[in-house]
Amino acid sequence: MSAKPASSGATTAFLAGAALLVAAAAPIVLGLGNYALGLLVSALVLSGLALSWALLGNLGGMVSFGHAAFFGVGAYASALASARLGVPVAVAVPLGGVIASASALTMLPTLRLSGPYFALAILAYAQIFRILATEATPITGGAAGLQRYPALPTVFGFDLSTRTGSYVLVLVVLTLFVGIYVAIRRSHVGTALRAIAESEVATRVVGVDSVRLKAWMLILSAFMAGVFGALNAHVIGFLEPDYAFGGTWSVMPIIAAVFGGYHTVLGPIFGAVVIYLFDQLVAKSLIPVGHEILLGLVLAAMVLVAPNGISGLVGGVFDRIKGGRRHAAT
Amino acid sequence: MLRLDGVSVRFGGLAALTDVSFEVAKGEILGLVGPNGAGKTTLFNTISGLVKPRGRIVFDGRDVTSKALHQRARVGIGRTFQIPQPMHQLTVRENLEVAQVFGAGALEPARIDEILAVMELSHKADADAATALALQELKRLEIAKALAIRPRVLLLDEVLAGLESRAKRLFMLKLKELHALYGLTIVVVEHDIETISNLCSRAVVLDFGRLIADGTPEEVFRNPDVVKSYTGGTH
Repeated sequence: MSAKPASSGATTAFLAGAALLVAAAAPIVLGLGNYALGLLVSALVLSGLALSWALLGNLGGMVSFGHAAFFGVGAYASALASARLGVPVAVAVPLGGVIASASALTMLPTLRLSGPYFALAILAYAQIFRILATEATPITGGAAGLQRYPALPTVFGFDLSTRTGSYVLVLVVLTLFVGIYVAIRRSHVGTALRAIAESEVATRVVGVDSVRLKAWMLILSAFMAGVFGALNAHVIGFLEPDYAFGGTWSVMPIIAAVFGGYHTVLGPIFGAVVIYLFDQLVAKSLIPVGHEILLGLVLAAMVLVAPNGISGLVGGVFDRIKGGRRHAAT
Repeated sequence: MLRLDGVSVRFGGLAALTDVSFEVAKGEILGLVGPNGAGKTTLFNTISGLVKPRGRIVFDGRDVTSKALHQRARVGIGRTFQIPQPMHQLTVRENLEVAQVFGAGALEPARIDEILAVMELSHKADADAATALALQELKRLEIAKALAIRPRVLLLDEVLAGLESRAKRLFMLKLKELHALYGLTIVVVEHDIETISNLCSRAVVLDFGRLIADGTPEEVFRNPDVVKSYTGGTH
């Protein structure tokens, strides 16, 4: 991959590392209980899924309504590999990502579709995987689900199956994927992929193999979603098709990414944390049954008021302040 | 350099191109002429790989008929569109970088600076996204982008359209400068007879998808079939 010169690369890496350390240490230093840590782990899992969804949308212009497929395939693949084949969980989790990527290969023909047709095709694929997981009872346990598979392991004396361990692990994996996303975005491949989103013919006519680049992004996005599906599976210790392939895993990352601002790298992550905590702590207490309606209202409000999400809103305010200062100085 | 053998294209029941054959010599500036709907843009789309034809397209001795759009760019077929198609959200420099990295195979910042200077876009290189450019700047970017892939043949689709006469003259001089500077072979679609006469050493004329004349601009514009196609049948 051809890389652009990154003048502030070292500073960015340092800041990212410092932010990771603070984020990892904060809940532990603050002495958050298991319930609060559990909420944060789930929020970070959703963040990872939202990041993988936004990667596909930003780098290639593909809108997915079917990320539940990759999430579910990763979850089942990792749980089954560790339970039935004895694969260590540390290997099974990335293997879940690889198998989710392999499942994305079956979707490659959809890359020749654009806009709503791609979105609908991938939605249909997600349903196929849910039905397969339900019907392949001898392998997946069918509708009854899977319960007996290993939890996250202990690594160098650090028990990853505890809430604290899971939190740190999910945060580290999320940070790793953010790094990969940023590296691609900064490369010329990333620049071309940003252009493909709105000007596909203009990119192809100068030599960009847009279908191949989009295929790589679909495979990478599926890998990320699959890894988070796998991590989530080993954190919660129970899987059934309607949960692992549930529409929630397709819809929530969209709401989170749109809320946070999917054009930025950190927007979807921030959006997922806020949306998940809002749903669990506010919406559920206000409307215990059907609380999702509030998420729908939040999404509608964001699309109307701030189509570029919270990050776009904050960026706009900063630009106005900077513009005002420049104006005052002249 | 570029040869078309019996190229035909149909869109459903419409014959957009019928058995078109001609050759473009290395270093030549060829005018592609014809009334609206004659098939000029379809021919460009066919040569550049947007449309699959029957027949054969041979570029530099290689049959490129089955090659995809991006593959034809990589072998050196550059083109512009009548309505400029920049990579909208990228800056001018990013547009050229993407074209150079993918089309020519490697990033050469010095050459990008040179193209920016030649196309008088240096002052806009790192400013806003390409969407903020004016029409003339977009047309210059369109050519700059095509130059960045190191083309050996450049297909220019009505780059002078919409320009007033002085801007048109200046743009024509610019095309002659590019031709000399980069040793390009150029095929230019243009309606204006005067422009073709000034710019091109040879012209081919299409009418209803068929090639009806091939020769020097003076010869083809005296050809009775060409006169008839331009005047709608009245002399």
